[in-house]
Amino acid sequence: MRFQFAGAVTGVVALVAGTAQAHHSFAMFDMTKEVTVSGTVKEFQWTNPHAYIQLVAKDEQGRDVEWSMEMGAPMYLYARGWRPSSLKAGMQVRVTLNPLRNGRPGGVVRDVVTADGRQIGTNR
Amino acid sequence: MKAWHAAALAAACLTCSGPVAAQKSDPERVAAFAELPYWPGYWVSEQYANTTIGGFAAPRDASSQPIRRLNGFDAPWNEEGKRRQAEAARLRGGRKALGWGYPMMMDAATPLQFMITPEETMIVNAYGEVRHIYTDGRPMPPAEDLWPTVWGTSIGHWEGDTLVVETVQVQTPFIYFHGGPTLSEEARYLERIRMEGDHLLIDFTIEDPVTLTEPWKVTIRQVREEAYDRMVQMDFSNDRTGVENGINTIEPSGD
Repeated sequence: MRFQFAGAVTGVVALVAGTAQAHHSFAMFDMTKEVTVSGTVKEFQWTNPHAYIQLVAKDEQGRDVEWSMEMGAPMYLYARGWRPSSLKAGMQVRVTLNPLRNGRPGGVVRDVVTADGRQIGTNR
Repeated sequence: MKAWHAAALAAACLTCSGPVAAQKSDPERVAAFAELPYWPGYWVSEQYANTTIGGFAAPRDASSQPIRRLNGFDAPWNEEGKRRQAEAARLRGGRKALGWGYPMMMDAATPLQFMITPEETMIVNAYGEVRHIYTDGRPMPPAEDLWPTVWGTSIGHWEGDTLVVETVQVQTPFIYFHGGPTLSEEARYLERIRMEGDHLLIDFTIEDPVTLTEPWKVTIRQVREEAYDRMVQMDFSNDRTGVENGINTIEPSGD
C-alpha cells in the first residue's frame, strides 16, 4: 500500500467537477490537486452532515497513517448507489481525493474503487 | 375486566371512531382534497441536482438560468445587515451546523417532501426538519402566543395551484446554520410555491425592518431527485468540521 500522487491536475479538475457544495466552505481542500490513496478501510461512517471513510494506508516510510476522507451526506450517496454496507472494515480500496490544505491526512472524496478496480456505486 | 367496564370501553371506542368515519366520507373535504395540487417526489434545490458522492454539484450548462440563493450574499442589507454579515463571515469558519433550519431548508441538497391536505401542508426534509403551514383559514396567532423558533410559524392559503405562505418569528437563521442569512427575528417571509413544468418554483419576498433596506426577492427552483425511492430521515450527529489556524479541517474520528 503506497500513496499514489496522481500528479498536478491544476485548475481543470474544479471546472470539470462543478461547484463544491456542502454545509461548509470547501476552501479547506486543495481543489487543484488530486491524490490517490490505497489502503484498508478501518471504518465507514454513514452519518450526517457527511459520511467519512477512515482509511489506513502506509506512508513513504512504511508507517500506518489513518486518513479521514469526507464524502457528501448519506442521502447523496444513496442516490448514487451507495449503501452503509458498501464499505466494510478490512476492505482494500483506492480513493481519489482533493487533499486538506493543512497537510493533515484527509480530503474530500472524488472517486472510490475496489483493489481490483471495480467502481463502488456511481459518481454521476 | 368487569362486564360493565368492557361495555363502557366498547361504547367509548364506538364514540371515538364515529367522527373519524364521518370525516372520511365528508364530501366537502373530499372535494377540497380533489382541488389541491399534488407535488409527489423528493425535491432538491436545482443547484444541488445530481450532487456527487463528494458533495459536488454537477456541472451546469452555461446557458442555464443563474442560480439564486437564500444565503443572503446578495440581499439588500442596510448598515445593520452589513454589520451582521461581516460578523457572520468572521465566525463562520469555526462553527458547526445543526441542520438547515428555515429558510435554508428550502434551498438545500437535503430532499424535501410536500404533504398537502386541505387543512395543512407539511414540508419535511431528510434531517427530520418539519414545517407546518396551516391552510384552514386561521389567522396568524396573536403576538403573545408567538416566539422565535428555527422554523418559524406559518399560515397559508391557496390561490389556484399556488400555495401562498406567510412565516414569522424565525430565529436568526445564521444561529442554527452558519450558512444561513443574518436576518433578524422581526423578518417576515412570504412564499409563493407552485409547479411550473418539471420545476417547483418558490418565490420568496423577505421583509426585515432591522436588516434590509427593501424587500429581498429570491426565486428558488426545485427539481425532483429521481434516485430517491423513499424519505430516509437521519439525525445530524457527526459534524467533524473543525478549525485549525483559522482554516477549516476535518477533526479526528471520535471512534
